[in-house]
Amino acid sequence: MKRLKAVFRICKVASIPSPLRGEGRARVPKARGRVRVGLPAVRRGVPPSPWPSPLKGEGTRWRGRLLLAAALLLLTAPARAEQDRTLTVVTWGGTYEQSQRAAYFEPFEALTGVEVETVRYDGSLQALRDHLADGETRWDVIDLIRADAVRACDAGLLEKIDPAILEPAPDGTPARADFIEVAIRPCSITQLVFSTVIAYDNRAFPGEKPRRVEDFFNTERFPGKRALRKAPVALFEWALMAYGVPRQQLYELLSTQRGFDLALAKLEEIRDELVWWQGGQEPVDLLKQGKVAMASGYNGRFFHARAVEGAPISVIWDGQLLDYNAWAIPKGADDGDLARRFIGFATRTARLADQANRISYGPARKSAQRRVGLHVTAGVPMRPYLPTAERHMETAIPRDHTWYAQTVDLRQRRFRQWLSDDAGDTEGEAGREPAGKPAGD
Amino acid sequence: MPAVPIPDRLSQTAVYRILVLSLVGVAVGTGASLAAIGFVEALTALNDLLLISPYARIQYETQPGLVTAATVLVPGLGGLLVGLLVRYGVAERRGLAPPDTIYAVQTRTRPPSLKSGLASTAAALVSLGAGASVGQYGPLVHMGAMLGNLAARLKLGVRNLQPVALACGVAAAISTAFNAPIAGLVFAHEVILRHYSLRAFAPVTVASATGYVFANVIFDRPALFLVSFEGVPHAYEFALFAAVGIASALLACAFMALVLWAGRQAARTPLPQPLRPMAAGLALGLFALQVPEVLGVGQETLRFATIDGAFQPGELALLVAAKLAATVLCVAFGFVGGVFSPALLIGILFGALCGTLVPLVPLPIESSGVVVYAIRGMMAVTSPVIGAPLTTILIVFELTRNYDLTIAAMVAVVFSNLVAYRIFGRSLFDAQLKARGFDLSLGRDKAILESRRVIDYLSRAATVLPPSASVRELLAELARTDRAEAAVVDADGRYRGTVQLQDATSVAGDRPVGDLAERTPVIFDPDTSVWAAIQALPGYLGEAVPLVDTDGRFLGVVPEEAVIRAYLDATNELRTEENEAA
Repeated sequence: MKRLKAVFRICKVASIPSPLRGEGRARVPKARGRVRVGLPAVRRGVPPSPWPSPLKGEGTRWRGRLLLAAALLLLTAPARAEQDRTLTVVTWGGTYEQSQRAAYFEPFEALTGVEVETVRYDGSLQALRDHLADGETRWDVIDLIRADAVRACDAGLLEKIDPAILEPAPDGTPARADFIEVAIRPCSITQLVFSTVIAYDNRAFPGEKPRRVEDFFNTERFPGKRALRKAPVALFEWALMAYGVPRQQLYELLSTQRGFDLALAKLEEIRDELVWWQGGQEPVDLLKQGKVAMASGYNGRFFHARAVEGAPISVIWDGQLLDYNAWAIPKGADDGDLARRFIGFATRTARLADQANRISYGPARKSAQRRVGLHVTAGVPMRPYLPTAERHMETAIPRDHTWYAQTVDLRQRRFRQWLSDDAGDTEGEAGREPAGKPAGD
Repeated sequence: MPAVPIPDRLSQTAVYRILVLSLVGVAVGTGASLAAIGFVEALTALNDLLLISPYARIQYETQPGLVTAATVLVPGLGGLLVGLLVRYGVAERRGLAPPDTIYAVQTRTRPPSLKSGLASTAAALVSLGAGASVGQYGPLVHMGAMLGNLAARLKLGVRNLQPVALACGVAAAISTAFNAPIAGLVFAHEVILRHYSLRAFAPVTVASATGYVFANVIFDRPALFLVSFEGVPHAYEFALFAAVGIASALLACAFMALVLWAGRQAARTPLPQPLRPMAAGLALGLFALQVPEVLGVGQETLRFATIDGAFQPGELALLVAAKLAATVLCVAFGFVGGVFSPALLIGILFGALCGTLVPLVPLPIESSGVVVYAIRGMMAVTSPVIGAPLTTILIVFELTRNYDLTIAAMVAVVFSNLVAYRIFGRSLFDAQLKARGFDLSLGRDKAILESRRVIDYLSRAATVLPPSASVRELLAELARTDRAEAAVVDADGRYRGTVQLQDATSVAGDRPVGDLAERTPVIFDPDTSVWAAIQALPGYLGEAVPLVDTDGRFLGVVPEEAVIRAYLDATNELRTEENEAA
């Protein structure tokens, strides 16, 4: 039944009379654009013209033929009996999900007729474990932090993905050469690069601007409050960088007690100026309201505030902590083939570049990085805002997930201990909101 | 047609030689560089696997029992494996190191066999992988030389290829390991070749550059050491640098003397040789439970030493002593590895100690920070140990690319070398060679003359008579052979003495020559070196010096002319080698 519906949908997009029309129409869902957080699935309908097509105009007839061919292919594909032909994608919500909807879900729906429904989750591996716990998997595709994907793969929570599903770049470069390093793993395909950066309020520094990580710790030269995420992530690296430790050696040094001692000693120097945040939007708001002069946060959030909302926020790219999001398929997904097909589609060069024109996360394919242009609504050139811009990569810290995984308890313990040495400062806990964008661990 | 005709044969041979030497440079450079990268990668992997590196240890932070067991058992069992490898794999029964290469190059003898070399390299890998406090550069240098020797054994028809090929391997290994091609080039000349002929210079440069290309361009290896330094703002600090240089020299001398002393002590222990590294490993492991910094190469400690406030002065003093003791123990008790990296670590900790003490001096002076003192201490301690001031200065320059820091380090290095040379000698390598009877302290010409034997110039064309022969027979025999002296040798072949013609003319013709024979004031034995022969000859009046073996048997004579010829041969060869162009 679902397959027939898909054929109908394609026929509709292609404006070809459909023998199945009557039957299909009844099944088009009405709940368009509504997202219900926490529930297993939210169905999304097909927008009237979702096809961001370069073929519009004289190519319409040709497009119709192409889609008809696709429809026939679908009809001849092996039948799947009782399952619903919908794809359930588990992702992060917020503007990030909106960009995914426009760049991936809608075009995929248009191409295949399959409905893409989304489930928002908190980004933790535990959510995946909980879902799989009852033995039934209703999720098809999950958007994971790469490190979690690797761990989940080792723990047997994910299906294997054959890299053959990845399409070559438009110029014919094979996928393996086109993707950034170690993007293609046994159970996951890295699709984007985001980063945790330090940003500052332009108004706080009318003269000399902070440029380096050590400026964050220099409150004499750059006075003002500092906001940091209340979690043992990124701050150890930055504290050591402020001592002049080269970024290649950070994690080696942070594998010793002495490294932690040094990092915390550096944080101690600015303890009185620190404000803690927890939700991803907080640092942006703190900066906008002039409550802090510098803040750590996610580059996409800062971009949005700056380029779309016009807030006077600048990013210090020095020491940006790179992280990656990857597509994966939960173990026992009820429509694994469709999930693989989706991943192949969503990692096409054009799709990745399309998403990067909506939100400032770097595509995981070199060919896509070259195609990134202007922001779809704000019209600003996107490339200078991407973590993957060459200039920004020169001083980036590639996040060491092995180290992060190995030091979960130790980091928490050392961080909490240090916090409790001076229990007064918990300002940032107010105004908590759920993170809309990957927040790490 | 060239306007000026070039003599055919000349151009062919010169072009051929240049071509062969360059190709040897590229080939040996490539091999040594790849081998060095592989070695370093393998040892890093072993350190992670065996829970030696902090990076690997931290994941078991919640299981202290496991970390404790690994800390003690890994160096212990590694030591056992090293002991067995050395005992059954290396013909010399010890780890091979730069002194073996220096010896082979200087004396043009064959270096240790390939099998020994490979076994020694494996033992070094196990030593370093298991966390012994030894250096990686000694084994790398030896590996480079081993590959160079493979090239030298090809029949390429180029004279004196062996020293050049060995130097190529050494240069490429250093160039790759430090990302420092100029230092590699200079090290090969300063420590291995000990001369700067243009002929060796060209291929060694090619090899060093090849190593750099592999390390940097093809594999993009991370730099060993990155330091940012703003410069020395206070002129008076240069005086302090010199003072620290002198203090470092004393530390370096103590280090070297302890290594040699402990080596002798280890040889006296009743413990069988293959078990000695195991004992040292277990001791090191127990020690590391208290001071984990003594394990391994100590990359992290090296970096911490450049950070202000990472250590208290007391900690630094303790670590200098601990690392020194650990290295002396490991080297003396048979772990295979060098002393370069430990010297770097001891030096940088010592420098940092000086740096942290300077602000405590009750004088109104400002210090330019701990980094500059740390780097300076590192170089000032290392340079006398390897006997290569120029290399050390260049390593600082190439690692930090910082001119100010290099100038500051240079002052300390020079003073340190001067003092250490007076107290101890040129380097640990030379001291080890001297202990084996090859003394380079008065220049390589003396060392080479000492390594040559006069027995190679032995002549059997001597007049030999039994003791019972009469003086008449002696005179007849001397007249027949046209000589002025005869050796008297008994039926067992033992040398009884020499009879001079002038002593025989005034005695009765029927006296046996045995009565007249007198042992000459100079007698050579099979081990007499050309140098010793030359020293013995002034004042010697005979024609030729008898050469007698340890049992007193007469083997022949060495004419005075031959001793002089041996001397000239050696010095001529040296002069040719040092002045060859291509």
